[in-house]
Parts: sequence; structure tokens; C-alpha cells
Amino acid sequence: MPRLIEVYQDNIRDWFPEMLAACVGTLKLSLVAFMVAAVIGLLVALVRISPSTSTRWIAISFIEVMRGTPALVILYIVYFVPPQIGLTWLTLSSFAAAVCGLALQGGAILAEVFRSGIEALHAGQKEAALALGMTPAKTMRYILLPQAMRVVLPPVGNYAIGLLKDTSVCALIAAPELMLRAKDLASSSFEPMAVFCLAALFYFLMSYPLSLAVRYMEHRLARHG
Amino acid sequence: MNFWTVMIDRFPYFMSLLLKGAVMTVTVAAGALVLALVIGLLIALLRMSRSRLLSGFAYVYTEFLRGTPALAQLFVIYFGLPDVGIELKPVQAAIIGLGINGSAYLSEIYRAGIQAIHRGQFEAAFSLGMTPIGSMRDIVLPQAIRMMLPPITNFSITLLKDTALVSVVAVPEIMFYARNLVTETFQSMHVYLLAAAIYLAMTIPMSRLVAYLERTRRAWQ
Repeated sequence: MPRLIEVYQDNIRDWFPEMLAACVGTLKLSLVAFMVAAVIGLLVALVRISPSTSTRWIAISFIEVMRGTPALVILYIVYFVPPQIGLTWLTLSSFAAAVCGLALQGGAILAEVFRSGIEALHAGQKEAALALGMTPAKTMRYILLPQAMRVVLPPVGNYAIGLLKDTSVCALIAAPELMLRAKDLASSSFEPMAVFCLAALFYFLMSYPLSLAVRYMEHRLARHG
Repeated sequence: MNFWTVMIDRFPYFMSLLLKGAVMTVTVAAGALVLALVIGLLIALLRMSRSRLLSGFAYVYTEFLRGTPALAQLFVIYFGLPDVGIELKPVQAAIIGLGINGSAYLSEIYRAGIQAIHRGQFEAAFSLGMTPIGSMRDIVLPQAIRMMLPPITNFSITLLKDTALVSVVAVPEIMFYARNLVTETFQSMHVYLLAAAIYLAMTIPMSRLVAYLERTRRAWQ
């Protein structure tokens, strides 16, 4: 332990700014992936609750496949396969591949979250809107979605926390983020213990405020319904 | 050569190695699950203890482990611990890393399960003359386990998928063999799709099971 403190005293000046810069990469990656995942998730959720069984099955298969496969496998497929089979137009940078891979899986997770939010609403909401002469699309847009959004905030927040941590896997396709930088620093300094503990601390400092926010939202929802 | 010719041609070879990896995947997942179940219960009991110190420790433990990526924890255990004189084999590091990571999630599942049982259940059991241990064992736990079964199965699915990470510390599981096969044959699409299929063959039945458990739980409540 005393040695670890010495290591930090000697190196923190070099490591801190580098890791802080890498945290920006992690946050950027998380944010972009989150936004893409939210769009995919909403679309898939709407397909998932469509009245037609065959359309519904497209969404169900997408959800099951994306949720049942490790993120690492999806990332490898998105990043390594297109260049190898000659699809040059689909050959992505590591950052773009990381966004795609995480967003595909995230879309499936969020689709289920959105669906359960919509289905949790009382059927009377939809019936009343339709009875007032709103079209199904307007009912969804103005009546169901705004109410569902409130209920799904905590699980969406939980997903965001998971996503933030999952970006670390993108180091394995060399996407510019914290874990990649930590790996480089660990091998150049020969101090893996100190470097990886510091990296873990940085992740914690990013995710913990989020998890407090989620708990606050859950608390409010539990009280006010 | 088109996709299917290659696939049919190479299928036995690819599968022989990937399935060998799958055995390791299941081994690591099972080992980590057992470790997580045991440590998780301990942490849950500490978290619910009356001592501020113990429950504070359990709080920091769960928050920190849930707030950092499993990959970072794995790297600390595999690459970092040798710095302090603890050298682990890849499989040991994988099981310990994922097991400790999982214990934080399981402790929360345990806690939620036990707290969801109404106090009146305990009180009724006491007033009928049951001992504290008896009422825990025969009244509270059977109900709590029913509550906890779906989230524990869900956790197992996540754990199974997380084992893909341990390929980076050279545990010979599915993704480790997949990467080697790709370097050897350059058939990345075939290999990774087969790897995905093997994971799905394990995770989809489990997620069906969760859906079934949740249906019966709702019916039972």
C-alpha cells in the first residue's frame, strides 16, 4: 500500500490530465450511443406493440438477438466484419463502430423499457383519446408517450449507467475512451495496479452521480405515482 | 466463394473449437455465479445489519463495484494484483473478478427480496410459536426466493454475456477461440456469427425462463 501511494505521488501529474481527456472520450461515446439507442429503441418499441403479429415478430427477434449477445460480439461484428468481406462503404472508424454496436444493443434494451412504460398506462387513456377523435398517431404522440416517459425515466437512467460502463468494452476495438488510455498507460508505466484503480475511480465518479439521480427519480415516482 | 459454401465447409472445424470455448464460458459463469451468490448474501446481511460501520462498508462495496466496469475490475485483479504479490491464473482471475462484481448486484437482489416480505409474515409465524430460525426458513425464505428467482436468473444472463470479457485475460472461452479462428482463417463474419449463435442458444432459453417465472409469480401473488 505505501508503495502505491508513492507511485501516485510520482505519476499523478502525468496521468491525471491524460485520463481526464480520456474521460471526455468516454462521455462523448456514451452520449452519442445513448441518443442513437433512444431513437432505435423508440422505433423498435412502436413496431413491437404494432397490431400485426408478423411485424411484431421482427421487433421481438431484434430485441432477443441484441439482448442475448454480448456487447463484445456485436462490436467485433460491426467493426471487423465489413472490411473483411469487402463492404468498404460500411467500414467504420473505431468510434463509429463503438457507437453502432452499443446503440444496437441499447436500442433493444430501451425498446423493452419503452414498451413496458407504454403498456403500464391504463387502457382508458388510449380509449379516451380515441373516443375524443384523436388519430392513433396523435394518441401516441400527445397522450401515451408523454405519460410513459415519466414512468420510464428511472430504468432509462439505469440503462445510461450500464452504457457508461459498457463503453469500457470498446477499448477492445481501440475506440478512444478511458479504458484504452488506461491500458496504454499501464503498459508504458509498468504500474497496472495504480493505473487501473485510478481508471476505476474515474468511472465511479462519472456513474455515481447518475445512480444517485436515478434513485431520486425512483423515490419521487414512488411517492407521487 | 459465397457465404453458405464457406459456412458448410468450415462449420465442423469452427464449431469444434467454439463449443470447447462454450464449455469454458459455462464453467466461468457457473463459478462466478456461486461465488456471487455466497458473497452477495454476506454483503446483503451486512447491509441490513444494525451496525453503522458494517452497513456503511456494505454500501461502499456495492456502490463502488456497481459503479465501475467489470472490465476495469478484471484488469485490476489480473494485471494489478501481481504488483502486490498475488498472481492468479486467468481462469481464477476471471471467476473471482466476475464473482466479486456480481456479488454487488446479488446483494441488492437479496435485500430487495427479503424486504419485500411483509413484516406481518414474521410476526404471524412468531405468534404461532415458531422459532426465529424456523420462521425464516419455513415462512420468509420460501416467499423471498420466489421473489428473487426472476432477477437472479436475469443476473445469470448478464453474467453469461459478461464472460466474453475474460477472453482479454486469455481465458480460453468462446470469444478467445473466435479471435484465434479469425486470425487463422480470416472468416470473421462466419466465426463471429457462430459465436453469437452459441451465446443466443444459451441466453434465449434463460430469458424465456425469466418470462415464465415472472408470469407464475404474478399469478401466485
